[in-house]
Amino acid sequence: MLLYLIKRLGLSAAVVCLVILVLFSLLYFIPGDPATIALGPRATPEAIARYAEKMHLDEPVWRQFVIYIGNVLQGDLGVDVFSNRSVTTIIMERIGFTLALVTTGMGWAMLLGIPLGCLAAVKPNSWLDRITGVLSVGTIAVPSFLVSIWALLIFAVHLRWLPAIGAGEPGEFGDQLSHLVLPAFAIGLSWVGYLARMVRASMLEVMGENYIRSARAFGLHPRKVVFGYALRVAILPTITLIGMGFGGLISATVFAEIIFSRPGIGKLIFDSVMARNFPIVQGAVLVATSLYIFVVLFSDILIAWLDPRVRESL
Amino acid sequence: MKHSGTTRRGFLASTAAIGAMGLMPALPTAGFAQAGSVLRLRLDGDNDILDPGYMSGGTEIEAQKQCLPFLAQYDRTEEGFDWAPTYFVTKLEQRDPTHIDFELAEGLVWSNGYGPVRASDVKFSYERMKGTDWSGYFDAMDHVEVTGERSGTIVLSEPFAPFIMITLCHGPGAVLCEQAVKDAGGEFTNEFPAVCGPYTYEAIPGQRVIFHANPDWAGPKPAFERIEANVISEVKAAELAFEAGELDCTEVGADTLARYTKNMPDNTEITVAGELQYMWMGMNTDHPKLQDIRVRKAIQRAVDVDSILQGAYSGTTSKSHGIICPGLIGNRDQSGYSYDPAEARALLEEAGVSGLELTLRTLNNQERMLAAQIIQANLGAIGITVKVLPVESGPYWEMGQESKGDTWKDLELWIMRFGTTPDPYEAAQWFVSDQVGKWNWERWTDPEFDRLYQEGIVETDPEKREAIYVRMQEIMEDTGAYLWINHEPEAFVHTTDIDVNAAPSGELNYRLFDKA
Repeated sequence: MLLYLIKRLGLSAAVVCLVILVLFSLLYFIPGDPATIALGPRATPEAIARYAEKMHLDEPVWRQFVIYIGNVLQGDLGVDVFSNRSVTTIIMERIGFTLALVTTGMGWAMLLGIPLGCLAAVKPNSWLDRITGVLSVGTIAVPSFLVSIWALLIFAVHLRWLPAIGAGEPGEFGDQLSHLVLPAFAIGLSWVGYLARMVRASMLEVMGENYIRSARAFGLHPRKVVFGYALRVAILPTITLIGMGFGGLISATVFAEIIFSRPGIGKLIFDSVMARNFPIVQGAVLVATSLYIFVVLFSDILIAWLDPRVRESL
Repeated sequence: MKHSGTTRRGFLASTAAIGAMGLMPALPTAGFAQAGSVLRLRLDGDNDILDPGYMSGGTEIEAQKQCLPFLAQYDRTEEGFDWAPTYFVTKLEQRDPTHIDFELAEGLVWSNGYGPVRASDVKFSYERMKGTDWSGYFDAMDHVEVTGERSGTIVLSEPFAPFIMITLCHGPGAVLCEQAVKDAGGEFTNEFPAVCGPYTYEAIPGQRVIFHANPDWAGPKPAFERIEANVISEVKAAELAFEAGELDCTEVGADTLARYTKNMPDNTEITVAGELQYMWMGMNTDHPKLQDIRVRKAIQRAVDVDSILQGAYSGTTSKSHGIICPGLIGNRDQSGYSYDPAEARALLEEAGVSGLELTLRTLNNQERMLAAQIIQANLGAIGITVKVLPVESGPYWEMGQESKGDTWKDLELWIMRFGTTPDPYEAAQWFVSDQVGKWNWERWTDPEFDRLYQEGIVETDPEKREAIYVRMQEIMEDTGAYLWINHEPEAFVHTTDIDVNAAPSGELNYRLFDKA
């Protein structure tokens, strides 16, 4: 287990290093002078010179890279081009909103998708299975930005049941929760389908195993067989999927955050790209990527912990 | 033996419980539709730097106007735009072309215990601006003389007619508290070191800015006690928020403006702040394909601008006849050419040009791409093949600049839009001889134009200024290098129960909003 952990940590660190390299190179692949792009076409020569000095753009590229790596290792992601605020602080102010959105979105998708998958597997080819199948494929096929727009138009603009923009008043839990409903619905909907299909497939495989047949032969209650024995094994591949999905949702929130004008990492990246605020783009993408890697690593370790067979095979 | 710690079964149960929290029914949301003396608006992004010397502009200027004193403000008249003294001054007079006398109102007090607003604060603020990123607005100013506790004189080094209009009314004209700025280290970013105005400032990054009623404010009470400016980067999202009843006022895009104009929803009005943007198609007079003025004039006459206004802008923008925008001294109501494909063909024949192929570069956005396609079709009709090249904003703004590479040599046609301030001087400055290779991408020079530009700066008689700027646009047009397109409006949609106050360039002035 320890060796596995070391291997996985090493691989994760290598991916993070690669991301840092790519993000650093980004500034030099974009056509145009980085200082002019960041400050706008009518920036004064003095402002451009000051920016170049602040960003170390007047230094050789290799030295800029060394400075960048050194700063990142110390948790210093640079400063915002315009406000001079610490990029780390700006990201920390917003990351909680993204994590709340992703957790809620994936949370409701799990609560609905996993039971739906179980029910479909217990009665394969029944009308319930068929309806679940159609709904699952339907929700998977609809992109989250489309769900966001329709949810906004129906529930906020037309019916006015739920708020359209923002994250709610700071410190008011109810208000914040009501602002979370529509974006969480939008990003989680397709995951209901994914999870239902995944659980169904795993469950069908497990339900054919000898130990399940034995449990049934002993006359155990069907609920006990499904949830007590079959689901415990069938859920394992789903955990990997949830881990990857959780990481993927961090980047998928960008649409929901823009459409609902909700603060978060995705919107921060989008706004910063539009403003050519490269230190924030670099910092926020690095944090988002690191979170993704961390969540996937965590789900791998969790699988190893939950499944003795995986643990023993290491 | 009792076993403690996390078990696999326990983990699964906890996960399910945490997930269930996500499905908790939403609580009532009555709180988001506040009314009364709260005004809910849109900010297109966080205010990064509130310091007038280093700001980006836009909504940062909006914040300054609520929290800092200004000596002058824009005044909309029937003829166009003018200036008027603010309630921060009891006197603001241009004594002669180089001296502007002012007297601050009594009872103005800075927050945070910094005492009364003094003439020395004005001196500090304006003289400080000469060493900042916005120093261009103070090039003409020599110094400020303090003649009393609340009075002084702004001394210009040479006559500069638009000084009050473009500098004192605009963001750079904000007055700062000298001592507070010094205590803050000489510069500040996203917090005012001291305010003097009807509102105080509180920012929640990424979410909103709240302007609270300033308890130290002794001046006229604003109509709204609290302003909530929500950070909404996308215009479309803001329009939907308005339709959902969560904003009282927001800027609208061209298509929504057209939709609302055609079918105005209940309890809704449109206010147009100004049209201080001018768009044209430029031609490089140095390029071998376009060196013959007859070819350029043929292109001017071959494009049906009215089709562009309808097809790309849904009829929501004014047709342009030059660089001076509607409402400003020197605005023209007619061009010296018109859409005439037959004349265009004749000019091409006269020049002996056939099978001409040109590249039209434009920023890659919806309206300009549509405009480019209409131009492409119009020029195709007279035998000119146009390749439309969409360009990302980084390289786009460098295309004509000699200091940024060699693209200027290949530049043929391009669609350009500049924004301006409410004085014709600003728009004209980019086309003088020393701007060739910088912002005069058309690359022509004209001694008369340069002379008129200098005369326009010092001339204070409006009629003479009008004649100067009309003539300057005629000179530009006669080069054949300009196809005037339009002036896009800064339009705001709002509920009928509020009166919107916006600067000609579109910045909202919340303290002058009123209840209808």
